[in-house]
Amino acid sequence: MNAALRPVSIDLQESEENRALIEAIEADNPEVTTRHLPGLIKLQAPGQIVINRESVEERLGHEWETGEFQLAIVSYTGNVSEWDDDQIIVKWEH
Amino acid sequence: MSTESPSAAPRKKLPLKERYALLTRDLDWEPSYVDREQLYPFTRYEGIKIHDWDGWQDPFRLTVDAYCKYQAEKDKRLYAVLDGFAQGQGHLTLSDASYLNSIKLFIQGVTPLEYAAHRHFAFLARHLEGPAPRFAALCQSIDELRHTQTQIHTISNYNKYYSGFHSWSKMHDRVWYLAIPKSFFDDAMSAGPFEFLISISFSFEYLLTNLLFVPFMSGASFNGDTPTMSFGFSAQSDESRHMTLGLEAIKFLLEQDEDNVPIIQDWVDKWFWRAYRVSALVAAMMDYMLPKPVMSWKEAFELYFEDQMLSGLFPDLDFYGIRPPRHVDDAIAEKEHLSHQVYKIFHNFSSVAAFTTKTPDDAHLDWLSEQYPDTFDTHHRPTWEKHQRVEAGGRRMFFQGLPQQCQVCQLAISFTEKDDPGKLSFRRSEFRGETFHTCSDGCKWIFDREPEKYVQAWLPVHQILKGDCGGPTIPDVLAWYGIQTGDNGEYTGSPDEQFWRAWHDPSLKHGE
Amino acid sequence: MQYELRHQVIPAKRQTYQNVIDRLGDQPVSRYLEGTLDVQPREHFHYRPTWMPNRELYDERFSALRLTDSYRFTDPRQYYYTTYVAARAGLHDDFGKTLSYLEERALLARLPAGWQALLSSIVVPLRHYESGAQLVSVAGARFAYGTSLEQCCSFAAFDRIGNAQMLSRVGIALGGGTRDELETAKRAWVDGAHLQPLRRLVEEIMVLDDWAESLLAIDLVDSLVYPLVYRGLDEHALLGGAVAYSLVAQHFSAWFADQRKWIDALVATWATDPEHATANRAALGHVLATWAGRAYSAVAALAAAVDNHLPMAETSAALAATAESRRSPWASLIGGAAS
Repeated sequence: MNAALRPVSIDLQESEENRALIEAIEADNPEVTTRHLPGLIKLQAPGQIVINRESVEERLGHEWETGEFQLAIVSYTGNVSEWDDDQIIVKWEH
Repeated sequence: MSTESPSAAPRKKLPLKERYALLTRDLDWEPSYVDREQLYPFTRYEGIKIHDWDGWQDPFRLTVDAYCKYQAEKDKRLYAVLDGFAQGQGHLTLSDASYLNSIKLFIQGVTPLEYAAHRHFAFLARHLEGPAPRFAALCQSIDELRHTQTQIHTISNYNKYYSGFHSWSKMHDRVWYLAIPKSFFDDAMSAGPFEFLISISFSFEYLLTNLLFVPFMSGASFNGDTPTMSFGFSAQSDESRHMTLGLEAIKFLLEQDEDNVPIIQDWVDKWFWRAYRVSALVAAMMDYMLPKPVMSWKEAFELYFEDQMLSGLFPDLDFYGIRPPRHVDDAIAEKEHLSHQVYKIFHNFSSVAAFTTKTPDDAHLDWLSEQYPDTFDTHHRPTWEKHQRVEAGGRRMFFQGLPQQCQVCQLAISFTEKDDPGKLSFRRSEFRGETFHTCSDGCKWIFDREPEKYVQAWLPVHQILKGDCGGPTIPDVLAWYGIQTGDNGEYTGSPDEQFWRAWHDPSLKHGE
Repeated sequence: MQYELRHQVIPAKRQTYQNVIDRLGDQPVSRYLEGTLDVQPREHFHYRPTWMPNRELYDERFSALRLTDSYRFTDPRQYYYTTYVAARAGLHDDFGKTLSYLEERALLARLPAGWQALLSSIVVPLRHYESGAQLVSVAGARFAYGTSLEQCCSFAAFDRIGNAQMLSRVGIALGGGTRDELETAKRAWVDGAHLQPLRRLVEEIMVLDDWAESLLAIDLVDSLVYPLVYRGLDEHALLGGAVAYSLVAQHFSAWFADQRKWIDALVATWATDPEHATANRAALGHVLATWAGRAYSAVAALAAAVDNHLPMAETSAALAATAESRRSPWASLIGGAAS
């Protein structure tokens, strides 16, 4: 199976602080599936998951730095392919 | 009149990646008053070739100020949970006191490894030649101190009321089953810096991390252990950085020079197997030591290793010429048997361990039959039913001798052949006129690559027989181990169990 | 409404871990002590390091300075991970506010020429000095014997890179949000005549085998640089229309005061150890004899450069006047073994 189809996943703390982030991910990644466990949300998608700062800020109602993703993440499967001021991308490279 | 001030011009802002590079790798300079080899004496002897240290990628770009801010916030939240749990005497809401045997194993076996990682990532932070991986290693070193201390603090509350927690550090140095994790990390620390990167950053923190940690943390969640579960969540975000470092490390080394590929492959082969053998302790724990089980070892192995790693990660690494680990088929074949074989050793020898064990009851045996439908009833259930009969007659079997240990992984030689579960797996190697014993093809292969290393091992069973462990009798050895009454033996009737039963006894009347 | 909650209190079997009980009796203790005492392994290491086969994985012989019991030394600040990051989050938060204030008002660009030159050619290049100090400190994090010591070295290593990053951010701000000043600073560090004695000294210290000797050698330099560059110029900055400099410098002076607490306590512990005091004092004397003079020369070159930009501060004279007391900060502790 090539990189575009192999699933990547991100596990986040399911908390009040992360609500906007979770909604932004779900909106920007139409193929993402969601699983709820106590206190934890598992997001999985084929190939890649993208987090857009602007999307998060829209839903949050104030500024958000991509660095704040550190506080939300529990675990991930895949490769952190890009992380700059505007975007984070998790995907397989090959 | 101009109202413009010098600050009216829009201030330039450097992009994140560039700013981060200026705050980390740009601090470095080429020494001219001393030789580079004097400054970094350990980066050549392993045969790894690096042409451009600047090729290192930093996906997680945390500067010191951001690090302190986020980590302080995480700790504030975690310690609030710990304090609340302690205040509310939360330990009384665990599923059962026997659950805590898994946490005794954790603080005795795992917490010291966090500390070892703290110390040896500092070694990388000093001795790797590239400033970018040095800084990443420094952050990981500090993270591992966080894990060590939050674990000590989390478990401190249990230590007040239950046995087996009180002497974890001394026991890690001395007690027989703890030589399994201790020798694993000693092996990594005594290796060179690049092998350490592959052994710990890649194999331990990436390849096998979910298999090693998720069972403990999920077990905590299922069994009412809020503090451990909270610690687990809190540490996991640090683990994301560590996983990333591990993956970056292996890719960086593979990309630097083709000649690195076979060296890395050998290390992947060795460290998969060594870490997999350590995970046997986790297998026994998850199948036998959780009153409310999360999933079977077999299921965890299939999910966290076979699916996520073999089907997810290794196709990615194939690009570089890396194939799945040698002996991985043996691990897959063993998944039906591993947990049972290891727990039988624990069960037979907990008279000399710092935790208690018990024979599974019928409900537990039925769960195991469901999880291992092809093998449990044939190969393992009869043993437990025998123990049940012995105990119904008022006795409890503990093995009165000492087991033979594998020279490499230091587990008891108790595994069986891949194609014959009735036959003990037992291998021999010769070195300098002596015979050494290993438990499997995987461990024998590791021994034969570096026999001069593995013959140094401090094997607990040999040391007891030599008389170096306190004295000639079992009580001498237990005293030397630091084991106190209530720590060891059978769970039923133990002080922990008696206390638990008294507290939860439904027949107690009001006010008793 | 106030009320007192009743508990059915379960009596504890013990108040803390056994190793703490053995040392201090069965009593509740701080998280610092539970997280520090006896954490490092002591015995039965399985394999010798391939990178240094004549040593064990943890070995007192990594330094000439020894303690009978490592845990006679404890960090006066009581920093364990949580309290450390909380303290530094505060420091960096304060610094961030200072820097924002300065950036919004372009106060660094508005500094008098002499002060800008000081920042550009002397202070910002010290980001590389801090980087070297970090390499030295992190050696202690790995090789010091005992958690109480190595923990302080670990935090010191993180502090040094924190300092280097603060200086780098000043450089970026001074350059109007660009990398220009950092490039200038690096050239000064590598080639500038006034910084070569210091760079040479730092490189020679970085390759020392004994982690404690290198840590103390850097401390000798710190003990001259920090009072000179940060605290010493503070008054002149305020009087000389360079408030921005004072605002930046205060954070470094605060850090140095914090650093002194554990280093001074550690040296005192070495100097008074029941078994090793004599040998330790001789070793400390050797450190002073070897490095104090070199530190002075290196910082004197810096002071001369400061004089070029800010003659009214009379920095070289200030260095000479205070150097006697600074040159051997531990002389009294080691019984005058160094002059």
